[in-house]
Parts: sequence; C-alpha cells; structure tokens
Amino acid sequence: MTSAWLRHAGSAGVYLRTMAVFIGVWWLIALWTANPILLPTPPVVLDAAIGLARDLELFHHAGISLGRMVISITLASLLAVPLGLAMGLSPRFERIVDPTIEVLRPISGIAWIPLALFIFGIGNALPVFIMTYAAFFPIVLGTVLGVRTVDRRLIDAARTMGVPQRTIVTRVVIPAALPSLLVALRVGVALSWTAVVAAELIGAPSGLGYGVEWYRELLMTPQVMSFIAMIGVIGYICDAGVRWLNRHFTPWAAAR
Amino acid sequence: MTATATMTAAASMNANAKLRLTDVTKRFQVRGAPDTVAVDNLTLDVRQGEFLVIVGPSGCGKTTVLNMLAGLDTPSSGTVAIDERVITAPGPDRGVMFQDYALYPWQTVWGNVEFGLRYGPAGNGLDDKARQERVRRTIDLVGLKGAERKYPNQLSGGMRQRTALARLMANEPDVLLMDEPLAALDAQTRIILQDELLRIWGQDRPAAERRTVVFITHAIDEAVFLADRIAVMTTHPGRLKAVIDVPLARPRGDATRALPEFQALTQHIWSLIRDEAYRATVA
Amino acid sequence: MARDSTWSRWGTGLVLPLVLLLTWEAIGAMLQSPRTPVPTKIIAAAGVLIASGDLPLAILQSLGRVFGGLMVAVAIALPLGLAMGNSRAVERNVDPVVETFRPIAAIAILPLAILWLGTGTAAAVMIVAYAAFFPLIVNTVAGAKNVHPTLLQAAATMGLSRFTIIRTVVIPAALPSIFVGLRIALAVGWTAIVAAELAVGAKAGGGGSGGIGQMMFIFYAYSIELNRIIVCMIAVGLIALVLDRGLRALMRASMPWVKS
Repeated sequence: MTSAWLRHAGSAGVYLRTMAVFIGVWWLIALWTANPILLPTPPVVLDAAIGLARDLELFHHAGISLGRMVISITLASLLAVPLGLAMGLSPRFERIVDPTIEVLRPISGIAWIPLALFIFGIGNALPVFIMTYAAFFPIVLGTVLGVRTVDRRLIDAARTMGVPQRTIVTRVVIPAALPSLLVALRVGVALSWTAVVAAELIGAPSGLGYGVEWYRELLMTPQVMSFIAMIGVIGYICDAGVRWLNRHFTPWAAAR
Repeated sequence: MTATATMTAAASMNANAKLRLTDVTKRFQVRGAPDTVAVDNLTLDVRQGEFLVIVGPSGCGKTTVLNMLAGLDTPSSGTVAIDERVITAPGPDRGVMFQDYALYPWQTVWGNVEFGLRYGPAGNGLDDKARQERVRRTIDLVGLKGAERKYPNQLSGGMRQRTALARLMANEPDVLLMDEPLAALDAQTRIILQDELLRIWGQDRPAAERRTVVFITHAIDEAVFLADRIAVMTTHPGRLKAVIDVPLARPRGDATRALPEFQALTQHIWSLIRDEAYRATVA
Repeated sequence: MARDSTWSRWGTGLVLPLVLLLTWEAIGAMLQSPRTPVPTKIIAAAGVLIASGDLPLAILQSLGRVFGGLMVAVAIALPLGLAMGNSRAVERNVDPVVETFRPIAAIAILPLAILWLGTGTAAAVMIVAYAAFFPLIVNTVAGAKNVHPTLLQAAATMGLSRFTIIRTVVIPAALPSIFVGLRIALAVGWTAIVAAELAVGAKAGGGGSGGIGQMMFIFYAYSIELNRIIVCMIAVGLIALVLDRGLRALMRASMPWVKS
C-alpha cells in the first residue's frame, strides 16, 4: 500500500515540476510580448479563473455542457447498443444496415451543424443532437465488434449444456461483448465531448463552448483560457469515469 | 489395411453401444477449392461406460468426430446416434470439455460450475437448495474446494481444467466428450490430472455405473494410460485405421506406466501413425 | 450456408438506402415547400456547384489547410515522439504537458487561434496542427516504445551505435504505429478544419476564411440553400473516405511486411 502511495506521490511530483516549467516559460513569453489580450500572464489567468469559479459562472456552464453530454451518451447508447447487438447476431441484418451506417459515418457530427441549425435553431437541442450523432457511430461499431469477436467456444459450451438461444444471448454474448462495448464508450465520450465544444461555440446560448466564444468577443483572454482549461478538466474527468466503469464492470478484461 | 479396419470395427459392434457412428462422412466446402473431406466413411461404436480415446496426427478429423457426437456439427452423410437416437443438436446429456476450457471469465468458479444447472435444462426440477448442493458436491469431487470465489484468470492451468470438468459434470451427463483437455498443461501437471481424471470418472466402478467417455489426444502414452479402447485415425482424409483394446488392469496408476505391456502398446500404436506424423512435419 | 455472390451482397446493402431515399423524395414531393431538400434537387445542386468550380475550389482550400497543418504536426510530433519513446528522461518531462492538453479539443483552441492569428488560413492551419499533433505523438511514442527488445538487443550485439539503431531498427519497427497515428490525425484534422471554417464563418460574418466549412455556413445563413448544405455534407464525407482509403493504400505500399 505504501509503495503505491509513494509511486503516486512521485509521479505527482514529476507532473507538478513539469507543469511548473511550462508555466514558467509561458510567463516569460507573456512578459516579453507584453500584450495582455494576446497572451496574459499566468497569475492574471489564475485570477480570472478564481473569479469565474467564485461566482459559479464557470461551474454553471460546465454543468450544462456535462448535462448535455450525459443525455447524448445515454441517447446514443440506447440507440446504438441494441442496433449493434442485432447487427452482430444476425449477419443478414448487418448486411442490410451496415452500408447505410458506413455512408453516414464519415460525415462528422460537426458537418451536420448547419443543417441541424436550420432544423433545431440555436438552443439545447442542437448540441445534444450533434453529440448524440457523434457518439452513435463508435458505440455501434464497438458493439458489433464485441459481439462478433465473442469466442465461439463460449457459445458452444453453453449450447452443449442445453442453454436456450435467448439465454445464450443474455448470459454469454452480452457479458463477453461488454469489454469491447466499454472501450467503444470511451471513444464515444471523447468524440462527443469534442463535438460539444464545436456545437456550443456555434449554436448554443450556454455551456463551456459558448463561454469560450463569449469572452473572446469581449477580448477577455484570461477568461477564455479559464474556460478552455475547464473543458480540458471535464474531458479528463469523463474519460477517467469511463475507465473506472471499465475496471469496475469488466475487471477480467486487460486494462487499457 | 482397410480390411483389417472393417474387421476390427465389426468386432466392436455390439448391443450395448452407447454411441454409434455409422458410415459417417463429413465434407467441408471451401470457396474456390475442392471440398475437404474431414471424415471418410467412419463406423465406430462406443460402449456404455467405456473410456474410448481417439488418437491420430493433426488434421485427421478427430475434432470433427467429437463435434458431431456433441451435436455441434452434423454429418454430410451417415448417422450419429446416442442410445439408438439420432443426434441432431447439442445437449447436456453429452457434456463437452474444450481444449482451451472455454470458461466464462466474468463468472467465478462457482458461477461457471453452476451455469448449466442455472440456465439449462439439466437444472429443471432442482430448487435453489438442491442446485447449490450439487454444485458443492461437484466442486469437491474435482478437488476445487476453497476456490469457489476465484475467477478463471486467477487460476492455474490445472485448476481451470478442473473447473471446466466440474462445469460439465454438474449436469450429470451420460457421455463426456473431451477434446485434448490436457494439451495446454505442463508435463507434470498432465500426469497428475490424468490420475485425477480416472478417479473422477470412477475407474474402479463397473461399466454400467460409469459415464461413457470419448477423449481426444495427440499423446500416445496418455491414450494408453487412460483408455479401455483406442481408435487410431489417419489423415487426408480422416479414416479409422484400427481399434485397439487396452487390457491393462484398473485401477491404473503410476505403476501402470512402468509395465512392459504399456510400452508395447505405445510402440504398436506409434508404428501405426508414425509415417503420417512424419509426413505432416514436412508437408 | 449458401454461397454469397458479390451481387446479392451488394443488393441487400442497397435496399435500405434506396428505400430511405425514395421515402425522402416522396415526403418532399408531398410537403410541396420549395425549400425542402430532396434527393433529386440535391443531385442537381451538386451538379451546379461542381460545374461552377465553387465546390472543387472550396475542397481544395480546405485540403490545402489540412495538409499544411499535418506537415507542421508531423514535423513536431515525429521527432519529439521518437525522442520520448527512446529516452525515459525526455518522456517524463514532456508527457505531462501533452497529457494535460490532450483532452482539450482543437476547436476549443479556435478562439485563441483567431485572437493570435486572425480569421484566415494561419489560424486554420494552427488548429489542424494542434488537432493532428496528439494522435501522432501518442502513436509515435507507443510505436517507438513497443519495439521488441530482442530486436534492439540483436542490433546492439552487432555493434551498432545508438543513433544507427534508432534509424535502422526503431523507426521501421515503429512505422506501422506511426501510420496508425497518421490515419487518425488525418481524420481528426479533416474534421477540425471543417469545424474551424464553420465557426469562423459563423463569427466573422461569412467573410474571408474560405474552405468548405465556410461555404456550408454561407448556405445556411445567407442563401438558406439546404440542398447545397447537404451537397457539402456529402462532400465532407466523401473526402474523408477518400483520404482514409488513400492513406491505407499508401500504408500497404510502403510497408509490405505488415498484414493490413
């Protein structure tokens, strides 16, 4: 236990040291360019961040963006997982549906923004639509892959025990496909989070992406940077969250 | 050669055949190439309560035969039957042990052993208590007491093999079909598990009370140690070359391996498949 | 199982898209609003845009920016990644910074880029470079690190210097991983440029940025040509496919020892 703690403390130390170097270089360049709009110094940014945090504006927008992502991932999963299961279990069904998916997949969620703006207008629905679309494809493909790569022998073993087909799907195929599904979920979350920024920047009246753009128009760079940093932090937390889900629900799968 | 095979096969046909393969042929269609004949006109009986081992070089169709007995595959022509009923589908009466155990990684040992009883017809008519009792008995039988809560990735190879065995034994099958179950183990563990296998099977009980076993292996000494009879197959296409009786007394143990009859039988069988095995290495 | 002829496979694949397209066309005819986008009008719009040269020009502009950004990213990420993969010290000092910025999507940096470089090509290239940097460096480091130690030992026993080993063993061994990173970087870069051009188009009032993303926005905000928007969307998708397939072909050609 102590050795793990020491290891974590050690790597935290390296992290702080490296970031300190980075901040130092930033500070020097900021002083040299002497343009507070172009590149504010670290303390100014920190000050702005604290200010935004104190009046909760930063957290307010973070919560909104996060909420949109939770809704999008849920929607995307509800659509993509059953579809992926059906495709993985029935080659015929896959052959019918797959080309349509493969045609739509290269059209990124972001390319949908103008059309979606027309359909939904500026508001909550737009980011959720874009994010759901973005997360949908990796989750479908990951589910299909997970189902297809289930070890044939696991299914055969159940058959030789006389287990009925439906139970095989619920008690063998789904648990065996779960690791792949959760990996795909990680990708979906990442793509979805990227999409939220783009969608909010262009087409939403709230959220972190909106905040970044709002303060840019006001030329308040320290606040812009604070929001950008928050985007990074939440992105990291979400990824860590899905990784935790991986470890918790599929402990037998190799850690990625 | 063929005449001898037919005579030996005919001699082994008798009334109390548990499993019967009659003129079984299995062809596999490969796109753009002529069909592969995995098994060619095979006729073989497996007697009730006997331990039959199928031996032969790689690719001689041993696994295909097992799959057909299991019902995972159907013959292109000919019939496969258990108790005179044609086999069309897999079922718990013919338990299968696969080469890499096929244990469910998300289930503990207990969960794996319980699986067939919980989700399959073998558990019908068992209430929770009776089911748990049977699982416990089976786990004790294979020597896994204390490891119930472990996951497969925490088990050694030998323990995984016991778990796989327990999983199929829990369903109390009439027939055990085993596809090279000991192949992945090191030599020392292999020997110990061969003894264990015979014990669990009940080698000192009369044939009527024992389960029927069809066992596939590459290792000739393993075959001679375990078997009542050995079916020798050849490859390209897979045919039955000979059926050899193994008259070594039961119960068998370490002493059996030292007997001169053991050596003689091993040599004899090796002589039957040696040429084919050599050709497989240079092909 | 019956043998599948390629034709019957193609057939089943086309069923669903055809049904959807026909339904769409029918609904459009029923709605009778001139602005509703409909497959036939989309094809017509595509013809117009291609013939006038607008679409090809926009695509070329965007592609140019993507390649520009990609080159910048490769120039930084490849040497840095190899250095990190070969030296624990370098990795320990650089990795924290990389990992801190990796969760921040390129598009979030766009306002900063516009602040620093204006709304033109420079900012666009910067965004693409930023976006492409991360998959490139992650995969280069992984490729350099995952060189099988026995390969390195074999080279060492033949008396090669450290730099020669990097040049003749590490780089070829890491090449598949690097290409994977390049593939992802290309896809990410293409998405990023569309997003950047879209956003700039939205904020700069439709002037100056050029490229397919901006064209899409103009069709949305100014001429409200939904058919043309959809043409652009399809173009975005097609280009993404072509880029990916092209790179895969390049991979197969330059690394014949790798199973594709």
